[in-house]
Amino acid sequence: MIKKIKASASEKFIFIFLIILSVATFSTYFVVKNKCLFVKNFNPKDITFKKPNNIAILNAPCGNVIIELYPNVSPNAVQRFVTLIKSNAYENIAFHRVIENKLIQAGDLEFGKKGNLDYGKIGTGKSGLGTIKSEIDNSFNYTKGSVGLARTFKNDTEDSQFFIILQDEPLFEGEYTPVGKVLYGLEVLKKIKYESRSEYILRPDFINSFKMLN
Amino acid sequence: MNIIRAILLLIFFVTPVKANTIYNLIKIPNLEIYEINTKNKLKYFYAVRPFRLGTQKNIVCSNANKKDLEEKYKIIYKNLNRYSYDYLKKINLKYIVLCENLSISELYTAGIPDNIMKTLILDIQFNEDYFERVIHHEVFHIIYLQYKEIFNDEEWIKFNNPKFKYAECSTCTKNIGLEKYKETKGFFTEYSKSTASEDMAEVYSHMIFLKKEEINQIRKSDPILNNKILYIENKIKQIDNTFTF
Repeated sequence: MIKKIKASASEKFIFIFLIILSVATFSTYFVVKNKCLFVKNFNPKDITFKKPNNIAILNAPCGNVIIELYPNVSPNAVQRFVTLIKSNAYENIAFHRVIENKLIQAGDLEFGKKGNLDYGKIGTGKSGLGTIKSEIDNSFNYTKGSVGLARTFKNDTEDSQFFIILQDEPLFEGEYTPVGKVLYGLEVLKKIKYESRSEYILRPDFINSFKMLN
Repeated sequence: MNIIRAILLLIFFVTPVKANTIYNLIKIPNLEIYEINTKNKLKYFYAVRPFRLGTQKNIVCSNANKKDLEEKYKIIYKNLNRYSYDYLKKINLKYIVLCENLSISELYTAGIPDNIMKTLILDIQFNEDYFERVIHHEVFHIIYLQYKEIFNDEEWIKFNNPKFKYAECSTCTKNIGLEKYKETKGFFTEYSKSTASEDMAEVYSHMIFLKKEEINQIRKSDPILNNKILYIENKIKQIDNTFTF
């Protein structure tokens, strides 16, 4: 006859502890792996905008970034930006320069395209539309979420690359051409892949889509 | 070839992130904001640690002492505040870097202008007697660099006595006195005799710094300086016809 052996209290305790530990480890693995888990994804259809014609929606890996464009501040730069958005030029373009909690930069249409990345040249590519003049005379507060056109060292070299700042940058006023401001989705931008040792990103995240609301 | 490319890429990707906005803007390290909310939108930075610049790292400046900084900033601000935002924009000056014991190739200097980076580095420890005037002297160098096509050394040289010759360069002479001559004879200071551009800068800074009556007096008594003053006046008007000395 086989005798049934009862588990002692400490054995039961260890058993329950191991179960809890394994559940916690398993769930943590999925939570950590999904960087977008706690990021709110804004649906532009649920929001009423004062100027819907000036709203652009950038879809990044963790959701939508809703941007209001300011054609009254930088008419030519916004026109260029909208032209590129409407032609879907920014789709599958890398966020090639990312500084944690400071800045993200994208828009290299020549060397930043998914499947055709050129790490040696990324950040130097052109759109093919030529450069435009800097529009830096109007006052603009470069607060967190501001969107501007990137340029080389010289003014009047803006093309397709743009940046979004994740912290206030008062020194950018009068230096970079502003095109708009993020209304919703800054948290989405904070989840874009960055590296602590480099501003330039190996295997970067990409813009899924970039469209005008209307 | 591939190995070189791989090494370059490796360097590119392991470069530590220098998320410093000031450095990104003007390529001078170790600076912090002193004042950026000014009427004419000049942005003042100061050195918190010594820095070296240039391809040969021959430009050196030390961190600024807080007390000196407070004192000299007031003087610099007062003098640069006379320039409007529009004027500064035209001459391409936006950033003022304040530091101590500024030198280039081991020669001490009051300032180093860089119109490309829109920056003027000023030594706040420079000779007290001429400190204010020298600020405008350095501003002129920015103007001169920005408008090389307007300021013609050959035209300028013709104002002088035909026997007179400038030195080969501004540091090629021991005659660097900044005290204003009692009898000018075509030059405001000894340093005016170093090069044409330094002479122009001395004329400009005196035009800014001296009272109008003094300038008028000099114009009457010194025909060479009268021509030089007229030249600077006309050229500055070409750049900004609203500017008044």
